[in-house]
Amino acid sequence: MTPAWGFVALAYGIVWGAIVIYLVALKRRYRSAEVELNRLRSSEVTENNDKK
Amino acid sequence: MGETGQLKKRKGIHGTLALIAIGVGLYYGLVVAPPDAYQGEVQRIMYLHIPTIVAAYVAFFLVFVGSCLYLWKKEKRDDILAHASAEIGVFLTALVIVEGSIWGKPTWGVWWTWDARLTTTAILLLIFIGYLLLRSLIEDEGRAASAAAVLGIIGALDIPLIHMSVYWWRTLHQPPSIFRPDKAPWENIAWPLLIPLIVNIVAFLILFFYLLSLRYRLGEMREAIKTRRLERGI
Repeated sequence: MTPAWGFVALAYGIVWGAIVIYLVALKRRYRSAEVELNRLRSSEVTENNDKK
Repeated sequence: MGETGQLKKRKGIHGTLALIAIGVGLYYGLVVAPPDAYQGEVQRIMYLHIPTIVAAYVAFFLVFVGSCLYLWKKEKRDDILAHASAEIGVFLTALVIVEGSIWGKPTWGVWWTWDARLTTTAILLLIFIGYLLLRSLIEDEGRAASAAAVLGIIGALDIPLIHMSVYWWRTLHQPPSIFRPDKAPWENIAWPLLIPLIVNIVAFLILFFYLLSLRYRLGEMREAIKTRRLERGI
C-alpha cells in the first residue's frame, strides 16, 4: 500500500468507525426511551383499570 | 399494523436505503473514481469530505429554520428539530475537520493551519458545542430552548462566512469545487470525478436524514416521557 492509500484508509476508517459508533449509541438511547415510554403507558393503563 | 409498527417499518426501509447508498458511495469513491492527476489517491478523501460538509450545512440550516420557528411560534416540535439537527451537525463538523486534517498532511504538509476556511469551520463547531452545552446547563427548559434558538441562528450565520472565506481572504484552502457562483460543477470537475462525488453527496444526505429521523423521534419520546412524569408527579 502506498503512503497515499494509508491516508485514505485512515480517513475512511475513522469516519465510518465514528458513524457506526454514533448510530449504535443513538439506537441504544432510542430503545431505552422507547422502553421507558412503554413502561409509563402500560402503568397508566393499569392505574386507569384499577380506578374503574 | 399499528402506528408504531408502521413507523418501525418506515425506519427499517430508510435504514436499508441508507446502507445501500453508503455501499454504492464507497464503491464509487474507492473503486470507480480514477486517481486525481495532481493529488493521486489522496483525492479520494474528497468523496468523504465534501459530502460530510454538505450534510453538516443542511443540519445547521435546519437548526436555523427550527430555531426561527420556535422563537416565532413556541412550538416544541421546532425546538426538537433544531436540537436533533444541531447534535448531528456537531458530529458531522467534527468529522469534516478530521477528514480535512488527514487530507491536509500529505497535500499541504501540515495537519492543521490557521487558514480562514479551517478557522471559520472550527468556530462553527465551537458555537454548536456551546449550543449543546447551553441546553444542558439551563434548568428551565423554555429558557434553555429560547437561548439555544438565538445561538443556533447566530451559529448558522457562520455558514455563508465559511463558504465565502476562500474568496474574501487569501487562503491555502482551494475555492469551492461545486457550489461556486461563476462556474457550473461540470465546468470545474471532470465527469469521472464529479459522478462519484454526486453519488456520495446523495448517500450522505440519505444517511443524514435517517440519523435525523431517529434523533428527532428520540426527542419526541423524551418529551412524552417528561410530560407523563409531570402529570403523574413522578
